[in-house]
Order: sequence, then C-alpha cells, then structure tokens
Amino acid sequence: MYRTAAKRLLAGGGFTTTRLLRFPKLRSTIIPSSYTSGLCTSSMGGNTELPMGNQSVNPNQSGPTVSSSTGTGEGQRRHESRKPRAEFQEEQARVLSASLRHVPRLGWTEEAMMAGSRDVGVSPSIVGSFSRKEAALVEFFMDECLQLLMDRIDSGLDLQNLIPSERIAKLIRIRLEMQVPYMSKWPQALSIQAHPLNVPTSFKQRAMLVDEIWHAVGDGASDLDWYVKRTILGGVYSTTEIYMLTDDSLEHRDTWAFLDDRVKDAFDLKKSIQEAKYFAEDIGAGVGKSVQGLMNGVMQTMSRRSGGSAF
Amino acid sequence: MALRSVSRRLGSRILNHRSFVASLHSHATSFGFQEVKEEEKSKLVGNVFTNVASSYDIMNDVMSGGLHRLWKERLVGKLSPFAGMKHLDVAGGTGDVAFRIYDAVYSVKRRALQKVDEVSLEETQIYVCDINPNMLNVGKQRAADRGLRDNKSLVWVEGDAEALSFDDNSMDGYTIAFGIRNVTHIEKALAEAYRVLKRGGRFLCLELSHVEIPVFKNLYDLYSFQVIPNLGELIAGDRESYQYLVESVRRFPPQERFASMIADAGFEKVEYENLVGGVVAIHSAIKL
Repeated sequence: MYRTAAKRLLAGGGFTTTRLLRFPKLRSTIIPSSYTSGLCTSSMGGNTELPMGNQSVNPNQSGPTVSSSTGTGEGQRRHESRKPRAEFQEEQARVLSASLRHVPRLGWTEEAMMAGSRDVGVSPSIVGSFSRKEAALVEFFMDECLQLLMDRIDSGLDLQNLIPSERIAKLIRIRLEMQVPYMSKWPQALSIQAHPLNVPTSFKQRAMLVDEIWHAVGDGASDLDWYVKRTILGGVYSTTEIYMLTDDSLEHRDTWAFLDDRVKDAFDLKKSIQEAKYFAEDIGAGVGKSVQGLMNGVMQTMSRRSGGSAF
Repeated sequence: MALRSVSRRLGSRILNHRSFVASLHSHATSFGFQEVKEEEKSKLVGNVFTNVASSYDIMNDVMSGGLHRLWKERLVGKLSPFAGMKHLDVAGGTGDVAFRIYDAVYSVKRRALQKVDEVSLEETQIYVCDINPNMLNVGKQRAADRGLRDNKSLVWVEGDAEALSFDDNSMDGYTIAFGIRNVTHIEKALAEAYRVLKRGGRFLCLELSHVEIPVFKNLYDLYSFQVIPNLGELIAGDRESYQYLVESVRRFPPQERFASMIADAGFEKVEYENLVGGVVAIHSAIKL
C-alpha cells in the first residue's frame, strides 16, 4: 500500500520527472504515459519526440544505473533515421551523480555541479538550467539514498529476528550511514532543504523515507495512528541526524546510542499514548455512567411529580 | 496514452505546417508590414540600424520606460555566467548584454563568495557579434568609457547571425537580445546557434513578443502604433525606422511557434517566460 503511494507521489507532476528515472526496475511499466505527460507540462518542443532508447550511466560513476523507459515500437520506427538524443533529465541525473564526488570538497554548490558537468563532458552552462540549483543536487542525493535503502531492504535485510524498535533503529542507522562521506558539508545541505522554496520537496522526500521505513518494519495500521507514527519517526530521524552533525566518536558510536534511546522513548511514548487513551475511555465511561444515572433519576422524579400522566 | 498524445501533436503539427511554412516565408520577405524581396531585406534592416545606432540606447530607455534594463538583467540571471565561459552575444551591437555578463563574471562580491580561481577568470571570453559596424562602434565606445577598451575578455566581431564565423561546439552560451526579429531567415540563425554551442550549452533569446491579454493588448497596440513612431521622430529623427520596429514585432512568430522552431533546430528543454504579460519573452533551450 505504501509502495504504491510512493509510486503515485513520484509519478505525479512534471516537477518530479527527474525522479522517475530513479526507479528503473519495477517502475518502468508506469513510466511511458506519465513520463511524456509530465514532460509536456514542464517543457515542450524538444520533447515532442518520444526520447526512446536505453542508456546506462558510465559504470565507473557512483550511484545506481539509470535507464530511460523502454521505447515503444512506434517511437523507434519514427526515429530510425536520427541518432537517439540524450534526454535532458538523463543528462541532469548524470551531471548530478558526477557532482556528488566533488561535494565533500566544494560543498553543495554550483561549483560542485560545474565540476561534475566537466567530468561528464558537458559544458558547465547546463548547471544554469537546473531549477533551484543547489537544491537539485541535494534532492538528487536524497532520492539516491532512498533508492539505496529500498534496494538494501529488498535484497534481504535480516529483520525477522528483531523486535520492531530494533528494526527501526537498524534502518535509520543504515540510512544515516549513507550520509557519512558528506558529513562535513551536511549542515549546508540541511540549510538548503530548510529554504522556503525547497521545503515542499524536502518535506515530501522525508515523508517518503519515513513511510518506507515503517513499511519495511511491517506496520500495517491505517487509522489515525498512521500520521502519529510517521510524525514520531520523522522526529526521531531528524534529531538523530542533527546529533550526528556534532558527533566525533569512533564510528559514530554515540549517535547510535542516542538513536536507540530515542527509539525506546518513542515506543514508550506509544505505550503511554495508548494508556492515556484507555484512561480517558475509562473516565469517560465512569462519567457517562454517573451522568446517565443522574438523567434516569431526573426522569423518574419528573414522572412521579406529574403523577402518572400519559408518558 | 503516449501514442495518442504523440499522434495528436503530430497531427496538429502537420496542420500547422502549411501555415507555418507560409509564415516563415513571409518573415523572410517581410519588412514590417511591407513585402520585400528576400535579398533586399537584410540591406533594408542594415539601413535601419545604421540610422538609429547613435540613439539606440536612449530610444530603448524611452520606449520601454527603462524596463529593458530589467529584462536584460533577467536574461543574464537566467544564463548564470561563470568564470572561464566562452559566450557569444549575437546582434549585441551596443553591448548591453555583454557588459552585464562581464560584470556578473568579474564582480568582486561573487568572486569572494565562490572561490573562483584567477586562471579560469582569465579564460573568460565574451564575443559580441553584430552585422552592423555602426552598432559595434557604439559598443566599442561604451567599452572604452568603462575602461574596458583593451580588455581581452571582450571581443567585438562583425558577422552575420545566419553565417557565423565561429567553430562548431565552441561556445558555452549564446544570447540574442532583440535581434532575432531582424534576421531574414530565423531557422538559419537557430541552426547556426546550434552549431556553435557546445554540448550542454545554453541558448537564450530575449525578444519582443505577442500579448494575448484582452484589454492590455489594445493598450499595447495603441502605444506601439501611435506613440513609438512619434517618439522616434522626436528623439532619433527617424519615424520610418521605428515604424519598421513595431511592425516587425507583429510579424514575428508568437511564443509557441517560435519555441517549436527552436526545438526543430535540435535544442532540448525548450521553455519560454513571458515578461510584462507577453510584451517581452525569454526563450531558453539547451543543446545536448
């Protein structure tokens, strides 16, 4: 249920077309129709021809392989005479992927992206066309980490033997460890994500992350609890992330201890919310009983008073 | 669903094609609302700009109420110039756009913030190309006034937008501000732009365009046809040139049509932004 929600979030809106490419394997079936319509809303002209043909990223680059949607026979017949054109989104993904290598040195900045574009063999001018430049890089990284996390979960992470709180802790740990190489520049990334223009996207990405983690933990509740759970987990994740920024201990041992404590607190919180709910119900019941008793008493008194009239 | 949307677009393109081709031919043979021979058009346009060169900048300020400066700022902002870039500004005679790019790259504040190394700064080349030597002379004079007479980064070149003298894949950026309207064959200019740009290079075009908003359109037409030629006569002493100017704006293809022409030249990610309700439009695209 959550995976389909994530898919729907990703497929909707021209803005998110960059992320359609992040999920090549099982998502490729949904790409063709929403891909072209998404492209139509955000740009025109060059994308009127369906940009088909598979392309994969240079193998010695970091990041998962990117492949464009498989072409329909229609598209290929029409383009047999022209060479397959590199799609803008693919180029952007390639440039951003190459830029990540320069981030620890240059930060989440245009310079890193220009260096990345030079690595790929494209003019640095292309960076000028990325919307909300630095944010594009940070969002790309967040998507990539989410994808890696999902791959780790799919490829048989051993969660069966752990209780829910330990599972959550393990997943958050895996995710935060992906940020370790960029830790020196992570505060900059956080400030970019907090910028008002970028908040909608970063919020959505974090919501998807939290959703994914709960899904992997195996939680199937779909009532009001759903929001409470995600909010609490979001809080745990964010506080741990921030704690990690100033953590100098060996292999971030202190951060993991902090994480375990927070998760425990969250579960205790859950129990205490549950208890508070029962308590309120009891009180409500008790009060209800006494109110009811009162009402009954009033009724009887009134009927006696009116002396057996037609009630 | 993709098939349907593609075939719909293809169908409408075939329908548009005939009127499209007709209007293209008409652009090549139109001088404002007059019909002229193709070979003559560039001579006539040349005469216009020779006449207006000395008062070009003043007239820009008066006609647009100083707004043209903001439009050019926006154009250069969209370009995001960087140190070491090779940029070509076509039909940029008096140098407005070129100077702004120069300032953007060399601005001290920016250099402090962004750790630019001096070597790549030296490599920046901004070429200003114009078909009309009078306009170029005005530009060179303005450069001298700013103390940039002998600056190696600014290079003034006389040339035709339809047949540029630059190498293939040599430019990071290409801009043309208020110039593409005056070119005889727009597709040739676009093809040349595509040729000289590097992979990843950006094409940006600032041009007067079509207004669709009902009441505003009438006001704009009134202003164009009643006020501007009179201003031209008063300030530049040349009514005909400014009559040509406002007529040529009406003859130029509207935003969507122009965007599809850009796409046909091979560019990707073609977009346009209307400023002042469509009075001016900035078209941008990337060569991939």
